[in-house]
Amino acid sequence: MVTLESILSHTADHLVLVVITLIISICISMPLAFGSLYNKRFGYVVIKFANLAQAVPSFAVVAIVVPLMGIGFYPAVVAILLRALLPIIKNTYIGLSTVDPSMLDYADGIGLNEWQILRYVRLPNAYPAIFAGIKFAFILINSIAILTAYIGSGGLGELIFQGLVAFNNEKILAGAIPAILIAIAFDIIFTRIEKKLTPHYRK
Amino acid sequence: MASKRLFDKIDSIQLLSVTKKYDDRFAINDISIDIEGGELVIFIGPSGSGKTTTLRMINRLIEPDSGTILINDQNVMELEPVALRRNIGYVIQNIGLFPHMNIAENIGLVAKLEGWDEKKIKDRVEYLLDFVSLPSEMFMDRYPHQLSGGQQQRVGLARALMMDPPLLLMDEPFGALDPILRKQLQEEFYQIREKLGKTIIFVTHDIEEAFKLGDRIAIMDDAKLVQIGTAEELIFHPANEMVASIVDTSKKFKHLDTLKIKDLISPLECMYVHDGSLDVEGAISSMIEKNIEIAVVSNGSGPLGIVKLIDLLRMDDKESKIVDHVIEIPSFSRNELLSSSLKIMQKDGHSMAFVMTDGKLSGFLFPNDAFSQVIG
Repeated sequence: MVTLESILSHTADHLVLVVITLIISICISMPLAFGSLYNKRFGYVVIKFANLAQAVPSFAVVAIVVPLMGIGFYPAVVAILLRALLPIIKNTYIGLSTVDPSMLDYADGIGLNEWQILRYVRLPNAYPAIFAGIKFAFILINSIAILTAYIGSGGLGELIFQGLVAFNNEKILAGAIPAILIAIAFDIIFTRIEKKLTPHYRK
Repeated sequence: MASKRLFDKIDSIQLLSVTKKYDDRFAINDISIDIEGGELVIFIGPSGSGKTTTLRMINRLIEPDSGTILINDQNVMELEPVALRRNIGYVIQNIGLFPHMNIAENIGLVAKLEGWDEKKIKDRVEYLLDFVSLPSEMFMDRYPHQLSGGQQQRVGLARALMMDPPLLLMDEPFGALDPILRKQLQEEFYQIREKLGKTIIFVTHDIEEAFKLGDRIAIMDDAKLVQIGTAEELIFHPANEMVASIVDTSKKFKHLDTLKIKDLISPLECMYVHDGSLDVEGAISSMIEKNIEIAVVSNGSGPLGIVKLIDLLRMDDKESKIVDHVIEIPSFSRNELLSSSLKIMQKDGHSMAFVMTDGKLSGFLFPNDAFSQVIG
């Protein structure tokens, strides 16, 4: 028997884990993406590293941090981060760098400086890609946060693993259903924010 | 952070032995030109001849390897690039409107960066939109993708005029437009040019455009300036074969009185034809969608005349039928002599006419266009 109290407290733990990780991954990815735009070699290293981290299977990333950092909440955050950085970095970078050249040429020609071009041309152009990257990153974070219960992060994964070990379907569902609801709710909320920030300028 | 006003009016622009190389290839090879204030100079030549490079050196988008560019005797290399560019209007073929800003924001961007207050920006934007024949109340809040190509190019011109620069650089501004629209915008530009009173440097690959708009025409080939002069000088004293072929000197021997309308017809495309029973609202959306500025109004049996998008946009009664707003224009058979038809059109002040084949509309005649083809 799973109590409602237990579901709620696991959901709360899970939310704390995913939201903190999402915020940290945005804070790390954005400067890396902007830096990549202005320094080719830096960009090359960043994208290579992010691709590499992406190529390692999710469960292996979770396992790898244990010998390095032990178990618990923070090792879990690091493990999830490794997987969540790539979509944000890559999408932000692509959004910022693939601007219609005639627009950049024009911006240059009317005397916008580098910062103004970033602020008025590149960034608005990149919004849709950045939002897509963050949404995708959140899906990854939410699912890997289930796995990290294995290394002691707590959260909904704990219920699922307990249920798996005990062949307790009720427990598995008590962990899985809130996780799915979180994913859906985030998608809806974020789509709203996106619409607010990027007005109707695309067909 | 307002930039300094570098020049209120252009007295002269001088290029002195300007050279630019990319690797071993000359983009510009030892070019010297004197441009007077108020002049409209057109650079023309094959692609890769260096005409755009020359233009872009004036606002320092490209910097010369050697030689000097002076505006009012100030070396552009000693001016701050951002300030220099904000003192020069810039219009490009691809227009480069920012898709995420509406028309008013696009036009007013630099003024905003220069710290103008909102009221002043709004007034200036409204004035400029009306100046380029786009009713400001209709267009201020639209986004670029909601505009036709011709309307976007008008916005491009309004945007270049925002800071009232004394110098305009225009890089094939009408190059991406279809021929009929291009002619109309050339015509409009020709008319507002006087009002503008600006020095203009203009790049094109269209010799007719050059003859129509330019005070002087600079012919470029293979990174060099081959010849610069008025249309007459180029036609009657071409410096070499290459100039002669660009201005097509042989055409000047064509006798106007033997030409027939069919030799100079601009063919009709069916998208131009609209039924007279259509209301103004419907005609506007159809024309914007098809990216055309004029429409032929027909009543089924034949053309009645034309309507212009600009006029329709300004009408208060959008429910009325376009047949009530038709501007009648002359129509000629394709086998009539050009000279007599042109005389009739000139007398009544028409800028276009229908050309009929076997009683059916088959094309248009534009006297200006016909004339420049003949002398060109």
